[in-house]
Amino acid sequence: MYESVPGVIETREAHGETTLVVDPARLIEACLHLRDRLDFNFLSDLSSVDYLGWGEEPVAGYWGNATGRDLNAPGTAALPRTPDPKPKRFAVNYHLLRVAPGAGDARRVRVQIWLDDGEAAPSVIQVWPTADWHEREVWDMMGIPFEGHPNLVRILMEDDWEGHPLRKDYPIGGEPVRFSDEV
Amino acid sequence: MAISAPRIYEGTRIPSPVPTIIEVPEELRRSADILEINFGPNHPSMHGVLRLVLQLDGETVVGLKAIIGYLHTGFEKSMEQKTWWKAIPYAPRMDYVSFQANELAFVMAIEKLLGIDVPPKAIWMRTLLAELNRVHSHLVWLGTSALELGAISPFWYAFRERDRVLDLFELVAGARMHTRYFQVGGLAEDIPRGFFPQCREFCEVMPKAVDEYEAMLTENPIWQARTKGVGLLSAADAIALGQSGPVARGSGIDWDLRKAEPYLAYPDVDFDVPVRENGDVYDRYKVHMDEMRESVRIVEQTLEGMPPGPWIADDRKVVLPPREELHTSMESLIHHFKIVTEGFTVPEGEVYVAVESPRGEFGCYLCSDGGPRPWRVRFRAPSFVALQATATCMGQALVADMVAVVGSLDTVMGEVDR
Amino acid sequence: MNSKPLREYGLKSERVLWKGKGPGVFEQEVAALEERLMLTTLERAVAWAQSKSMWPDTFGLACCAIEMMSIVSSRYDIARFGMEAFRASPRQADLLIVSGRVVHKMAEPLRQIYDQMLEPKWVIAMGACASSGGMFNNYTTLQGVDKIVPVDVHVPGCPPRPEALMEGIVRLHEKVQAGVPPAYEIRGVAE
Repeated sequence: MYESVPGVIETREAHGETTLVVDPARLIEACLHLRDRLDFNFLSDLSSVDYLGWGEEPVAGYWGNATGRDLNAPGTAALPRTPDPKPKRFAVNYHLLRVAPGAGDARRVRVQIWLDDGEAAPSVIQVWPTADWHEREVWDMMGIPFEGHPNLVRILMEDDWEGHPLRKDYPIGGEPVRFSDEV
Repeated sequence: MAISAPRIYEGTRIPSPVPTIIEVPEELRRSADILEINFGPNHPSMHGVLRLVLQLDGETVVGLKAIIGYLHTGFEKSMEQKTWWKAIPYAPRMDYVSFQANELAFVMAIEKLLGIDVPPKAIWMRTLLAELNRVHSHLVWLGTSALELGAISPFWYAFRERDRVLDLFELVAGARMHTRYFQVGGLAEDIPRGFFPQCREFCEVMPKAVDEYEAMLTENPIWQARTKGVGLLSAADAIALGQSGPVARGSGIDWDLRKAEPYLAYPDVDFDVPVRENGDVYDRYKVHMDEMRESVRIVEQTLEGMPPGPWIADDRKVVLPPREELHTSMESLIHHFKIVTEGFTVPEGEVYVAVESPRGEFGCYLCSDGGPRPWRVRFRAPSFVALQATATCMGQALVADMVAVVGSLDTVMGEVDR
Repeated sequence: MNSKPLREYGLKSERVLWKGKGPGVFEQEVAALEERLMLTTLERAVAWAQSKSMWPDTFGLACCAIEMMSIVSSRYDIARFGMEAFRASPRQADLLIVSGRVVHKMAEPLRQIYDQMLEPKWVIAMGACASSGGMFNNYTTLQGVDKIVPVDVHVPGCPPRPEALMEGIVRLHEKVQAGVPPAYEIRGVAE
């Protein structure tokens, strides 16, 4: 069903959800196609993930066998398995929804683009105006700039805050108290 | 777009270039005497810490800009530091008025990644509590919104019933707010015995109470003058701005996640979704009132249909074993130890779960690295999106109308700022 | 000199729960302060008047604000203490109930509101987040509002029950009636 969407590099299905990995340069084309041809008129969510440190031993991963850890099969343990590496550092996810009253089936899709540190993403504010504050939040929290956004300033932190808090190399901060460094 | 709703106004009223800021036109700035005032972050209308910078021409609002972030507590980053179990108490404190909807979304997302099956009793109880929470949220909304517009009496009436709902929560979970009753796999504990009779009593009292609130407000000429025709939002603009929940349903969009993407026990209960056509503050108010009645209907049905059985899943790698077993079974002891110290691990993956919170679509996007801690938790807060619609709903409204509009969007700043 | 130490007015909160309980540490400290301060009758009358109609300022920030609203409601009626008039303007308020988590961005407005209040003024830090940052020990949350305003009473809880907040308010009244000066005279803000 998503073969006609321009710019799709990869399609993944997991847990009943479809993820379309799109080339960032063709994102707006893809979004316009999804909105106009496939009726995804509602942008639910625009969020970003920082994968710095993904796949390094102390940061991520779990003990399991080569194919993974089976929750219901006791004794499947003993091998460290770190997750497969990701293509770039940042992923920006666009969760789209088709709001069609009376149709009875809600259809959702996730559009995902991959970016390196400093790379800008095109702004989809012309496609769905609701992206305005979402993109400002991604800029504020993760430091991903959006080209074409008319008002890209900080939204949650103070205007003169330095750093992008949700990045993995930004410390959690706070005051040291007893048991601070334990989970 | 496949929306068929009557036209409230022609074209779009979304401002440009920035959809969320109303700019004062240049000629007006030169010809009129524009007063710039600051509304918030501490102000008497009880929205919490919202700051609006207004440009006024007399009493008309000709420029509006919202500044948020005064309650940004760093939920998402804090949850990344904690194990899955310990991260659950963070969730209800975002939308602190409908707390269980937040917990529900987070716990459902973890369960989706785990692939764990929740027993029917837990599913039905979660439905019941989610609907009670909807009643609670609408009562707080009613009390505070009416208070802002000068209708002081409904506040006391609404809070009287609100205390009854909180009594029910306290009976079930031990705490009035932020109950932390939803556990990965089901409920944290079994349902205590006195709950069902008390809940039934509540269901008898509540519809009469909603009648009382309506008697005070619905036909009241002052209320109607303050709310009818104010804050218009067309269906197309609402979809473009990502509105859901009562704001969308007040504009004629028949969209409710409980019907469109059913989850929990909603397919098995019978309820209607109120939709109104005029897209003004009055219609959003009516949607809230009708939703309260429908929620009580759902609660009655879940009381009747509550299946017996276990209240949490049986998967010992995720769920703590019963305490009696710890005395006799070595495996139980080891599982208990692993779950409490390291925490259970959730397989690698990403998932997005949305529930119909009283404010709209509350979504939780979860990314797991396969370890005992979340890699990324993102909450799609409906109030964050609803606040973006302030500029569109305003039109050329007066300051007093602005209070009504912001109130009707039903924003909770905890989830706006997270 | 006081004719009757505070414990004989009966700190009703503890007395009701535990018959036969003697004065607790708090009561003993307040009694010791009373001996030293040597209140006169006029001061006692003024303190009585201040505590019987201490108007709070609407400073509801987060979840605790919802529980603060419920003490105004009819079940936990705060009007019996003369405090149902929540003033919106800090110039007309005596008591600042900081209810909710204070983040760095909000710290400046909070201090501004506190400065705009006229003396004597009291501060109740309601809830775990206002007292110490609560469960949020991170880059953005102030670890306790006593870093920027001097606090008289801390009320623990997340959120504290309305009865707990009432107990905090009642203890504040007892402090005022005992002649304990407001917090800004005794201590500054935390380091």
